[in-house]
Amino acid sequence: MNESRSPTRLIVPVLVLLMVFAALPAVLASFDRGYFYQIANLSLIFVLLAASLHLVTGVAGLLHLGHAAFYGVGAYTAALLATKAGLGFTFTLPLSGLVAALIAFLVALPTMRLVSIYFAVATLAIGQMLYLVMLNWVDFTKGPNGIIVTKGLNLFGFDLSGRLGTYYTVAAVVTLCVIAIGRLSHSYYGNALRSIREDDQCADAMGVRTVRLKMEVFTLSAFFAGVAGSLWAHMTGYISPGDFKFSESILILAMIVVGGLGSLPGAIIGALLLILLPEGLRGMGDFRNVMVGVVMFLSILFLPRGLLGEVSALKLVRQQLNAAWRRTDNGIGIGWR
Amino acid sequence: MDFIDPYYLQQLAIGLSLGMTYALMAIGFTLIFGVLNVVNFAHGEIYTLGAFAGLVLITAAAPPIFAAIFAALAIGAFAGFSLERLAFKPFRRFTDEASLKSRAMRESTLLSSLAVSIIVREGLEIVFGSQMRSVPFEYLINTPVRVGPVILVTGDFIIFAVSAVMLIGLQYLLRRTRVGLSIRAVSNNPLGAKYVGIDTDRTIIMTFVVGSMMGAAAGILVGLYYGAIFPAMGFVPGIKAFVAMVMGGLSSIPGAVISALILGVAESMATTFVSSGWSDMVAYGFLILTLIFFPSGLFGAGRERV
Repeated sequence: MNESRSPTRLIVPVLVLLMVFAALPAVLASFDRGYFYQIANLSLIFVLLAASLHLVTGVAGLLHLGHAAFYGVGAYTAALLATKAGLGFTFTLPLSGLVAALIAFLVALPTMRLVSIYFAVATLAIGQMLYLVMLNWVDFTKGPNGIIVTKGLNLFGFDLSGRLGTYYTVAAVVTLCVIAIGRLSHSYYGNALRSIREDDQCADAMGVRTVRLKMEVFTLSAFFAGVAGSLWAHMTGYISPGDFKFSESILILAMIVVGGLGSLPGAIIGALLLILLPEGLRGMGDFRNVMVGVVMFLSILFLPRGLLGEVSALKLVRQQLNAAWRRTDNGIGIGWR
Repeated sequence: MDFIDPYYLQQLAIGLSLGMTYALMAIGFTLIFGVLNVVNFAHGEIYTLGAFAGLVLITAAAPPIFAAIFAALAIGAFAGFSLERLAFKPFRRFTDEASLKSRAMRESTLLSSLAVSIIVREGLEIVFGSQMRSVPFEYLINTPVRVGPVILVTGDFIIFAVSAVMLIGLQYLLRRTRVGLSIRAVSNNPLGAKYVGIDTDRTIIMTFVVGSMMGAAAGILVGLYYGAIFPAMGFVPGIKAFVAMVMGGLSSIPGAVISALILGVAESMATTFVSSGWSDMVAYGFLILTLIFFPSGLFGAGRERV
């Protein structure tokens, strides 16, 4: 087992962490323009959203068309707790995740037995219903006017609301969540979810509790989406229902499709691509939104497995992060327990 | 008639004409779902394209109103054809039954139609801007007409008449012509249809053309009725039509039409009693309730688990 702990094994994750926590902040600081910080934070938040949708749609194979609504629930929870109850980021971060998860759980109770397209339609309807609540319950959510969040990022009494502080907070939370999602999706648990995706009747017959697993993964992914929502609320300081429309759900879905369904590195790449490409194409003006559609269409047509498909992603993860893999006799890892 | 407040009758009439346009959309959805077993997410954009085609013709040439509807129909037919070629054909690489019904094929076409719908919507925004374009006043079909205790507008009659004609025409097409026969055959069993010599590719294109023509007609009618045409207008009706299709049992056209009418009436009632902002909630509520309590739709026959 020791050879798998050799330092070369960890090159990719260490490089990624160095990029996120050292190189990128240095670049950002050298440009010193608030806009670049915004873009960096936005990409990180969408990385988390794509990773959480990857858990439901990629790994468990449940087509989820209302993910942005749970992101919105998280953002609204954070904003309302901060403005009405005066709670700081320390409390709103976990609470918004929990509220999103609770709503997802309640929603999942009746709908989780639906399969394939029926499930997709149900999630679409639920996403739209939550969006309508955000838009129309004016007394509570201030409706289309949105909410201004005055409280910046503040963890355990430390003020982190500066540009770099915000970036580091967002990066740290996103990294922790992505690592957690990575552990989940490359574990026995993730393999059970994959079995549901491949054939849920068969998995059921093999003793996998499909309905319960589906509910768990749906709730978990809503939790991470809620966390992303609270990051967004505290980062931008202003949220409105328009940020959580159906088109956002589709954008997140496009990210994991472009990156490769079922592949976590793919989801991250897809999120970065679909956020940074339109920003890079800002010179093209209005064409950038069309580009999202074009990229999505071309990738479905020519790269049906995505930029980094599931098989190669699994291989990558197994080679680079296999310190904790249990190996069988013939040297093939199965996954974290 | 004094035992019912005329106001409610009026809302009922408005709801019925709203429901009729949903029905036109829902038929396209249902036809395409029937033959390919896939959801066409670009259907809402066909509706928008139809509305814009009519608008462009009206602003350019000021033709009679029926010419605008025919322009919408022509664009709808063309859009349906291109949509099938672009977003659906490339994913029908294999023709065996397993891959026709496979999840991969359903999901990739769903996503590709979604991508095409993004491209069309954003493209229209580049060309026409995202603002609402108003229809020239003389083309608005909202001249009031008094019918007994209620006041309707001409648009209600036109929508009702055009929808009824198209629905009857569709029934004729499906039941009395060879094309309709082949559409029904492919929708029943694509592989079997192929074995008996039906050109399934052509039939699928025909289905897209017919379904998209209906969607485009609904687009121009609603555009003229409300007097506002904008690139994102197709999204909400698309969802409503989808709801109607699911409520009607996915493959049943009469079921989809009746569900669309129920939906339209329920929405106009919700607008009356609650507020217009919440009326969309009715459609989504119906959808969830149908999915949970009537998984095979209100009018659908038993259907295999898809």
